[in-house]
Amino acid sequence: MSLIEDLIFFDNPSIWNDFGGTSGGFGGIVWQMFIWSVIVGLLVIIWLAYNVIYYRRKDGDPDPKDSLKAGVFPHERGNTVIELTWTIAPLILVTWLTLISLAPLNYLWDVPDDDEDALTIEVTARQWVWTFEMPSNYTMPSEFTKCGGVDQEGNPMQNQPITYDCLEIPHNTKVIFNLNSEDVLHAFYIVEIGIKQDVVPNLQTLAWLDTETVSPGEYNIYCAEMCGRDHSQMLAQLYITETA
Amino acid sequence: MITTNLKKLSIGFLIAILVAITAFPTGNGLPTGITDQNTTETVIANGCTCHNTDTQATNSVIVNLTLPGNFTSGETYTLILNLSGGPNELSDGENRGGFFITASDGELSPIANDSLVQKPFGLTHLTHTVEGNDYREWTFEWTAPDKQDISVEFVAYGNSVNGGDGSQNDYWNKQAITLYGVDAVIEIETQKELSGPQKIIYAFAIIAVTLGVVVIGNQMVTKDQAFEEVLKGYWKAIYPWLTTTDHKYVGTLYICTGFAWFFIGGILGLLIRWQLMEPRVDGDFLTYEEYNSTFTMHGTTMIFMAAMPIIFGFANYLIPLQIGARDLAFPRLNALSYWLLPTGGIVLYMGYFTGGAGDVGWTGYTPYSSGDSSTTPGTDFWVAGQIMLGASSTLTAINFMVTMLRMRAPGVTMMRLPLFSWSILITVFLLLLSIPVFTVALILLMADRTFGTLYFNIDAGADPILWQHLFWYFGHPEVYIVILPAFGVLSEIITTFSRRPIFGYTSMVYAMATIGVISFIVYGHHMFTTGADPLFRFIVMLTTMLVAVPTGIKIFNWLATMTGGSIVLKTPMVFALGTVITFTIGGITGIVLASIPIDIALHDGYFVVAHFHYVLVGGTIFAFIGGVYYWYPKMTGKMMNEKLGLLHFAMSFIFFNAAFYPMHNVGLSGMPRRYATYDASLADMNEFISIAAMIFGFSQLIFVYNVFYSYKNGEEAGDDPWDGWSLEWTTSSPPPHNSFTEIPTLKVAEEEKQ
Repeated sequence: MSLIEDLIFFDNPSIWNDFGGTSGGFGGIVWQMFIWSVIVGLLVIIWLAYNVIYYRRKDGDPDPKDSLKAGVFPHERGNTVIELTWTIAPLILVTWLTLISLAPLNYLWDVPDDDEDALTIEVTARQWVWTFEMPSNYTMPSEFTKCGGVDQEGNPMQNQPITYDCLEIPHNTKVIFNLNSEDVLHAFYIVEIGIKQDVVPNLQTLAWLDTETVSPGEYNIYCAEMCGRDHSQMLAQLYITETA
Repeated sequence: MITTNLKKLSIGFLIAILVAITAFPTGNGLPTGITDQNTTETVIANGCTCHNTDTQATNSVIVNLTLPGNFTSGETYTLILNLSGGPNELSDGENRGGFFITASDGELSPIANDSLVQKPFGLTHLTHTVEGNDYREWTFEWTAPDKQDISVEFVAYGNSVNGGDGSQNDYWNKQAITLYGVDAVIEIETQKELSGPQKIIYAFAIIAVTLGVVVIGNQMVTKDQAFEEVLKGYWKAIYPWLTTTDHKYVGTLYICTGFAWFFIGGILGLLIRWQLMEPRVDGDFLTYEEYNSTFTMHGTTMIFMAAMPIIFGFANYLIPLQIGARDLAFPRLNALSYWLLPTGGIVLYMGYFTGGAGDVGWTGYTPYSSGDSSTTPGTDFWVAGQIMLGASSTLTAINFMVTMLRMRAPGVTMMRLPLFSWSILITVFLLLLSIPVFTVALILLMADRTFGTLYFNIDAGADPILWQHLFWYFGHPEVYIVILPAFGVLSEIITTFSRRPIFGYTSMVYAMATIGVISFIVYGHHMFTTGADPLFRFIVMLTTMLVAVPTGIKIFNWLATMTGGSIVLKTPMVFALGTVITFTIGGITGIVLASIPIDIALHDGYFVVAHFHYVLVGGTIFAFIGGVYYWYPKMTGKMMNEKLGLLHFAMSFIFFNAAFYPMHNVGLSGMPRRYATYDASLADMNEFISIAAMIFGFSQLIFVYNVFYSYKNGEEAGDDPWDGWSLEWTTSSPPPHNSFTEIPTLKVAEEEKQ
């Protein structure tokens, strides 16, 4: 039953496959969120079930002594200690969850400087295509065969002012994506890696990826912000290739 | 005195608006017209290649050629050609349009001394001159041929230009018209294919007429009445509903309209699921454009035309009863609020009859919604309808606020209001503070789309995420506007069916008020990926997490109310308990999404879709369906059928979870929302979701059947069938014309005993 398996095992590798977390504690927070969700959910459901089973009215049961009467505001019930408990406990829990969200955030927002020999790629979105432009001094490694044109002898063209509709980047490199939109809002979404950043006209946004943290291979780039007719066709391929 | 001033004022406003509309230029053109033989031939063969960015003609450009009805030989006629539509981002008044026109017979010529139109040397067509490209309307002459028993074919091309450099964003269209001579024998065109919307309208008309004939005929035969008598009978039944200002009638209208839109929105939802049953190519079931319209209308309908009317229907019916008032403070205003709803809804749906409803998503993000690529005029209708609904909600909010603060019966102090009343009071405060912002944003958007203003125009330097701030400043409180009343309903049902007072009444009230206050400072969590200020994003993450605290208090208080009680498991209670479970799941995923690193991965994906369906369907809709089962006896005097009710709950609860729970997984696997097709690896899951959603949708028919069945066959309810405490249970079921025969006084349990 693959369906049942699908329901039990989540298959977004960046989130679930390595709970230990590679990108700055990201896996860790997902794991904690999951555990706390299950605990809180089970607490509510079990308490509810307990109430329904043990306090269900049976025929001939007498009314509770503070039972309701039409037109009469009922006795106020409450217990300050108990109420304070379930005010403060969730407060502590969410404070904790906010706190542990900070570490991956610190990592995510700490975009490497240009001089750290990071590869900066200009990404341009328009209805409904992605184009990628390599820096002017970029030399394409000889291992790269997936994207771009070939010259008359069949070798990949190099040292051209290159614009691609797919993207091949080296493994073990920091890559910065400068995101620009020509028309409406788009969102740059590398599905399997979970990177998402809106692409906004008139406002350059940034995303970055340390390809060391992911394995070489083929990844999908989607548009995640509704942009018109072919929104669901605004796809591109990302290849992460090992270089010598 | 005041009225004459008002009249002058409104005429002044109208004139100002008209001047504004005509003063805003709508377009921009190519310099010299089409003057050589080669280009002329290409234009005739392929379309307006003189200035095309797009080899396809664009429907948004409307070419209008004014011709006489027919022609007499040798006579000269003056023809007018004008353009509208297309780009309207004009920097100045220059270079706005161009044209090209040919006639198959007779002679086209410019009017003497007209510098705008030229006839190139040696050619027979007309085109504009360099000066003429600053206009979108040209006048010229045509001399009819010698024979008047023939027809002449005119072909006009119009080019709508934005005046910028290059041909980007310029669009063209063409129009061909046949003009007949007075003696021409006009061939009757053989059966024209009807357009899609026409087919729908005709089909509905035929069905309606047939049904009408059958029903009225049946009445005439069985009751032996004349035609007029039957119609009079119906008119008598409808008339009070059309003219009522009674809160109970208006409330019933609201609830019925809300559920009617709920079913229409539900059908749209099922269309979405049918589309996603398998990864489809464009047009396999819905085209991608139609899919965009479908989810836009689904979202808009469900939030604004289903959830909110159902809520305000119950509020209308119950608030005066619960606070012991005879009616709302402003009954006529209340009727106006109601009638803005179906009319606004119809305006919203007009897009379906004009070539595609609004396709901008319920959030309507600019610059897509303010630009040319969104549907026209569907999106304009969407904007206009939303403005009407916004006005309706604002008026309702004021009405309830005044009613609840000023018209409470003796003994009903603020801290003795039933919790449903409290939830509505907080809701209307949120509504009044938030929805005008959205309405203003919509008016700006309408001005951009219709009058050519530049509030959201990126090229003119507008802030690209301004709309998102305006929208979510309203949009997030809106989420609580629809969930807080559900909390109120749950509190009422759970306390009544546990047969004992709510645990922690005071903390319940404060929790709701806290949610209301926090709701205004969390909206940024919808914008974690926009590139907004990091500090702003961090602060809203913090405040969003805080929402969990008051929400948790409410859930735990409900559970504590039940503990030690004497729980009666009737349909309303079962629905309430189901809601507690589904809402808790939705609340937990809300906290998961509040964490920025996780939200970045899951934003705009199916995890979010699952989350808000768990809160809106599993929270609001389930609670209010429970509310229908709970208050139906009060409204009609009849009990609803228990067996059908429990069956309805079982089907709804199981298939709701079957449909929406796997969406979490689909979202984690990376399927973005608003996708008309998807990666083939997710096909199994989506098929499962689709089937479950269909069953969930169809099981709601049990509910409809139960409502009608019980109205006829239900047991008599009596005044207080569930042993509730609040004042609505002290009046008769259904309540008398003035709601209470005598204004009641709310007693207090502590004083009762002494």
